Amino acid sequence: MSIVNIDSLTVKAGNKILVSDVSLDIEPGTWCTIIGPNGAGKTSLVETLAGLRRAASGSVSISGTQLSTMNERERALVVSLVPQHPEIPAGMTVREYVSLGRSPYHGLLHAPSDNDRRIVDSVFERLSLQEFSERDVVTLSGGERQRMVLGRALAQSTSVIVLDEPITGLDLRHQMGLLELLKAQVEQCGLTVVATMHDLTLAGQFADRLVLLDKGKVVLDGPAGQVVRSHELAQCYGMNLRVIDVDGADVVVPVRS
Amino acid sequence: MLNANPPTGRRMALVTILTLLGLCVAVVCGLAIGPIPIGTMRIIGSIFSRIGIGHSTLNSTQFSIVWQLRAPRLVLGLLAGAMLSVAGGTYQGVFRNPLADPYLLGVAAGAGLGATFAIMDIGGGTYTPTWTPLLAFAGAMVAVSITWIIGGRGLRSSASTLILAGVAVAALLTSLQTYLQQQASAQSLARVYIWLLGSLASASWSSVDLVLPYVLVCVMICVAAGRALDVMSVGEDESRSLGVPVRRVRFIVIAASSLGTAAIVSAVGLIGFVGIIVPHIVRLLVGTSYRRILPLSVAFGAAFLVFADTIARTVIAPSELPLGVVTALVGAPVFVLILSFRRQLVR
Repeated sequence: MSIVNIDSLTVKAGNKILVSDVSLDIEPGTWCTIIGPNGAGKTSLVETLAGLRRAASGSVSISGTQLSTMNERERALVVSLVPQHPEIPAGMTVREYVSLGRSPYHGLLHAPSDNDRRIVDSVFERLSLQEFSERDVVTLSGGERQRMVLGRALAQSTSVIVLDEPITGLDLRHQMGLLELLKAQVEQCGLTVVATMHDLTLAGQFADRLVLLDKGKVVLDGPAGQVVRSHELAQCYGMNLRVIDVDGADVVVPVRS
Repeated sequence: MLNANPPTGRRMALVTILTLLGLCVAVVCGLAIGPIPIGTMRIIGSIFSRIGIGHSTLNSTQFSIVWQLRAPRLVLGLLAGAMLSVAGGTYQGVFRNPLADPYLLGVAAGAGLGATFAIMDIGGGTYTPTWTPLLAFAGAMVAVSITWIIGGRGLRSSASTLILAGVAVAALLTSLQTYLQQQASAQSLARVYIWLLGSLASASWSSVDLVLPYVLVCVMICVAAGRALDVMSVGEDESRSLGVPVRRVRFIVIAASSLGTAAIVSAVGLIGFVGIIVPHIVRLLVGTSYRRILPLSVAFGAAFLVFADTIARTVIAPSELPLGVVTALVGAPVFVLILSFRRQLVR
């Protein structure tokens, strides 16, 4: 049984249609990456999945419950978000920041419980964040910062995590590092990942499934290897794409026409 | 400007102890300093006698001076300082704007118009001081409600729309008030100015009774919102994804801050600078968490305003300086001093 059900979802901003009649079922413990050119509706789709946008029509359900029937706290217990441009509040320690992920559990009037602290400890260990624990969040580098934001989302202990362009602006080593950390959570903890990404090579290497979106509609949906080799992909981007096999990994290369 | 390690618990404890000590000194100063000298130890003895420890050595005149003149003024000063400071801190948190103060959404302009209306006695007849706080309070609440309605259209607003609506409402009401002032007699105009600059001179136990329930409830709500404001420091969308009902929290804290501020303004006029400066001083001392800033602002603001009032009523005695002038004159250098020593302070 799927954990995320997106059913005939349409999302609008005013009269502009951002996502048009999208239906997706995502299995638990899998990684699904949404790809597509700029303006395809990727961010709108994942923001709706994270409960930040309302559906104009259709529905989004997680574990059988429609998001529109949940309040903010209930939603924060089932789906967490790593935004494209996270706000980094100066003066907060890394530990305080990651602990924000526990607020839906202890509420806004109570202090974190021992259990909350234990979970934050385990996130620190899994993401190797211990050495930054008492640092001010603004003093971290881009890569460390993104790891910390992922830490906050993991501290939410949700079954589904949504990431919008999580590796944008990171160097290659940090890109791979972050995606490997996330992959480990999928494989070891059964986390369900829904991400948007621009790097087609990395998208193909880490995701179990790729969904190609263009002009708000699903153009192609299937196993990563199949989608990166499809002619629809090149068509959507309006360019020549070559897929090269490097030690069993698909590398997508744009070629000048 | 940035420090690698935000403030530790030890510094928080130190700042808390010093602030509470300062508050105790402010209370004693508020009661002991005045045109008729009464010994500090006798004042302290009298305070303890009120709570059933020992006996007061004050004669009946001194007793009246301390407990009927100075004490209500002191208590009103404590309440005003606490409320304005915590409201300012709350506004800065909820709008994520360091320039926010309790008057941001039109409270001051509304209260100013209401008070001017009362002082100028537009309805004809003679000037009755009792109308001033009532109309100031009503004006403040009407102004914030208009801001909320036009800027927010209920609960769906963004913080910046609300601020802009506040600017528009304040401009409109201030221009109306200026027009009224233009029509005023010299005597009324003087009264309006005195009110606008804020003063604790007319404090009495009845004015304390009037504002106390509002201030107690509103301060408690604001302080309780600290944790929510900390989460909201990551922005509206992210805090929603962390389970915060952002619009509901915003409504509750704005309502509490505005109501408490309106109550205070109706009793003491427009005391500026406290609401913006105190939370910033506290933030420089203990870091950016609203869980620390808000409760400490209550104590710090209360002490600060009582010290400012003590200065206001003594330096040119028997006349008084306008309290709003003193808060800025004392507050600005203190703030600049703390700002320039920040690096050393936060280590």
